Amino acid sequence: MPSQNPSLSSLEADVLVIGGGSTGAGVARDAALRGFSTILVERRDLADGTTGRFHGLLHSGGRYAVKDPSAARECIAENRILRVTAADCVEDTGGLFVSTPWDDPEYGDQFLEGCRATGVPAEEIPVAEALRREPRVNPDIRRAFLVPDAALDPWKLVWGCARSAEEHGARILPYHRVLDVEMDGERVVGARVRSERSGEEFRIHATVVINAAGAWAGQIATLARCTVNVRAGMGLMIAMNHRLVHMCVNRCKRPSDGDILLPLRTACVIGTTDVFVPDPDQTEIRQEDIDLLLDEGEKLVPGFRQARALHAWAGVRPLFEDTAAVAETRDVTRSHALLDHSSREGIAGFLTITGGKTTTFRLMAEAAVDAACEQLGGPRPCRTAEVPLAGSESHELYRISHRLAAREPVPQAEEIICECELITRSRLEDTIKQRETTSLDDIRRLLRLAMGPCQGGFCIYRATGILHQGGQVDQAGANQALLDFIEERWKGVHPILHGDQLRQARLDDWIFQGILDVEHLPV
Amino acid sequence: MSYDTVVIGAGLAGLTAALRLTEAGQRVLVVARGVGATHLAPATVDVLGYLGDAPVTTPAASVRALIASSPTHPYAHLSAEQLAASLTWFCTKTAALGYTGNSDQNMLLPTALGVPKPSALAPRSMSGGDLRAGGRFVFVGLKGFKDFHPTLIADNLNHARLPIRVEARGLELAPPASRLGDLSGRVIAGRFDTDSLAGWLIDALEHRVDPDERIGIPAVLGLRRGDATWQELEQRLQRTVFEVATLPPSVPGIRLFDVLAGALRAGGARIVLGVRAVGARATQGGIEAVDVANATGTVSYPVSSVVLASGGFASGGLELDSFGTTRETVFGLPLTGLPDTDRVRFAEHYFDGQPLATAGVATDDRLRPLDRSGSPVYQNLHAAGAILGGATPWKEKSGTGISVATGYAAAEAILAPAPAAAPVSEVVR
Repeated sequence: MPSQNPSLSSLEADVLVIGGGSTGAGVARDAALRGFSTILVERRDLADGTTGRFHGLLHSGGRYAVKDPSAARECIAENRILRVTAADCVEDTGGLFVSTPWDDPEYGDQFLEGCRATGVPAEEIPVAEALRREPRVNPDIRRAFLVPDAALDPWKLVWGCARSAEEHGARILPYHRVLDVEMDGERVVGARVRSERSGEEFRIHATVVINAAGAWAGQIATLARCTVNVRAGMGLMIAMNHRLVHMCVNRCKRPSDGDILLPLRTACVIGTTDVFVPDPDQTEIRQEDIDLLLDEGEKLVPGFRQARALHAWAGVRPLFEDTAAVAETRDVTRSHALLDHSSREGIAGFLTITGGKTTTFRLMAEAAVDAACEQLGGPRPCRTAEVPLAGSESHELYRISHRLAAREPVPQAEEIICECELITRSRLEDTIKQRETTSLDDIRRLLRLAMGPCQGGFCIYRATGILHQGGQVDQAGANQALLDFIEERWKGVHPILHGDQLRQARLDDWIFQGILDVEHLPV
Repeated sequence: MSYDTVVIGAGLAGLTAALRLTEAGQRVLVVARGVGATHLAPATVDVLGYLGDAPVTTPAASVRALIASSPTHPYAHLSAEQLAASLTWFCTKTAALGYTGNSDQNMLLPTALGVPKPSALAPRSMSGGDLRAGGRFVFVGLKGFKDFHPTLIADNLNHARLPIRVEARGLELAPPASRLGDLSGRVIAGRFDTDSLAGWLIDALEHRVDPDERIGIPAVLGLRRGDATWQELEQRLQRTVFEVATLPPSVPGIRLFDVLAGALRAGGARIVLGVRAVGARATQGGIEAVDVANATGTVSYPVSSVVLASGGFASGGLELDSFGTTRETVFGLPLTGLPDTDRVRFAEHYFDGQPLATAGVATDDRLRPLDRSGSPVYQNLHAAGAILGGATPWKEKSGTGISVATGYAAAEAILAPAPAAAPVSEVVR
């Protein structure tokens, strides 16, 4: 179909990146910093796949120190880099590995030895000291170890990469789906894409196409007549109201289900599970998995089941397997895989980077762009280990009190639209303008709108009014945005609804249906 | 100290029951964990707004149809006369707020999104927004108040499916600067009470509104002087002025609480907030004393009768724990409307029918909670309001109507005891 917009009918780039998670955004940024003209396409919003649905742990490597030493080495190296270059995305919470009564205390010796061998700083501290730092943690723990784990904001990270890439000339195109990979004989020469917002189709010609579609990388590879065996390992996460812990608290044992509890902004998150799913777009949250996480949470923090659960979601890990099937997803390496399809299948101009984890996204991007350089006229040095992301130029680590500190000096300045996440009116208005979006869910990912305890009960109405007032949408569009957002929030609320959060949900029912009567809006 | 009746819950149902008992000469104690849903909900009395998907124009008649299709609905325990009598009584007791309307006809009042919502009664400061007569409207926002979006209200009303033509526009005014930022409705209401904000509003509106336009403003016209301020605006502007309910806290709801609580205290009743009824001492005859936990311990109050008006899930009268068990939180009463499965599984889409929507206690026609065999759990325990099962009030737009009608009926049942061998007419399902 010929395009309506001549400027988009066909685009040219050195590098086309498919996938807008941390890997894709990292690749686009890396390529742009090396001076390549770069385009990134993502079928949905940036960080809407695996990256935006992970637990938020910036690994120290401690988790892999015993079982997967190479992954541990990568983690600690990248951890150190991201604390500097992505400082605004990192909260330096520290990490604590604890031996609960359900864990073998002797594993702690293996853990310390593994950390020593892989260069992960780890220090055993007295149990009393651990409980002083984490008063809610199970008082019956037997051993405790400090590691440099941290909390990572995935949306800031990906958008920081995207903005940085744009500053260096890249084009970042969320809501653009790859319909087909364009081939010229045995060579990939670009892709045909469609804007999911306007419906417009166009071509992107590129010297190298990098498949960074994560758990969806197999689907993209098929379009280029290549095979990538990547399986989706689904992991469930539950966000709890309040920071029940100050540090990233891990069980000191071989990695298993429900053994991480970490603070994330004003909430905390427990994760995770690991189940193969045939289709990465089909993730069903099962009651038994929720119960498993709540029960494991109870072992780490007694009273966990009475605490208020806000939201549950599932993400899919891309698990790369080169040969035979693997029965347990935890046995698949968490190191990444870079596939050059010219050596594998004789298809030139096409690379796949998959596997890995968000902590090592920068390293994955570096490897992918190094390989791309070989097809783009020779090596150019990678700069992402030194150049800070957009927003992290001051190298100042994020602190939980940042938004409050910005707000406190001028309390009368303006309205707070989302009290849970301290989002001011001007910040919301600027973001709506900047993103040119009518989706409140896009705004959520940028600002954390409606991610607090009320899950949008109060701020959705306000944000809808402001969206409409800004003139970006008519009343029908505003109403649709509101209804879509209520539906979107409900997805994560309904699987975990009990206790005080059911009370909150019923209040939200009264607000949306009893007071505003959104069911009878003209749309 | 002993009371004739202890009322558990200080929402609309509890206050209604307590006031009816107090004016009949009873010594009444109201105990509650805090204020109730008056502070959250618009102060309208919504008897029945929707029957399934169809809007209701004649609530009294439609309630009969509702009972026919939902025999366990709380209204099924009331006669048409009782329902009408409760609303008439309510209007009398809230004369200071000038409630208008009746159960024969619903008004259509615009919500803060500009949706016409059916209500049977509304305080006079809100009833001027009735859309049934059509005409021209201007909705006025106050800059700095985030809970009211006049242009969206107006645009939605202009697109609403109404039998008569409505023409609406939005207008935003900037009130004089306040030293307080991020104003809640309650804070602005305080400014109307004390800072002569009404004078500013009159000056600001006088030349910006046509003579035939009705003026809709957010429901923040004051707490102590809300009704007086509304009257002043109407008189000086010579226009119909009406408040539009918006997000909690509900200023007109707080006014309603203040009027009812004031009448209760004037009548000699005692209201204790910040405490929790935790159980009862009972014999075969019924409850002899209610146990109330406060900050220092538990006090046992001897009683003749008890009204349980502790609310539904929103107010803490019902609870669902993380293992999937639902319970009534004060007496552990048997519940109806629970899912058949052992775990509650909420529906994937928000607007789908949700489990636990109709959960609550089942009662006989004297509003006494029933056990599994269909007999009253206690001869002298009556339930009212959102703790009653069988309704989906936020969808039906029936919450305040159920509270007033069943609060009143529970009091009437206490005041006119039936013969000892009264037949039990309802069976727990």
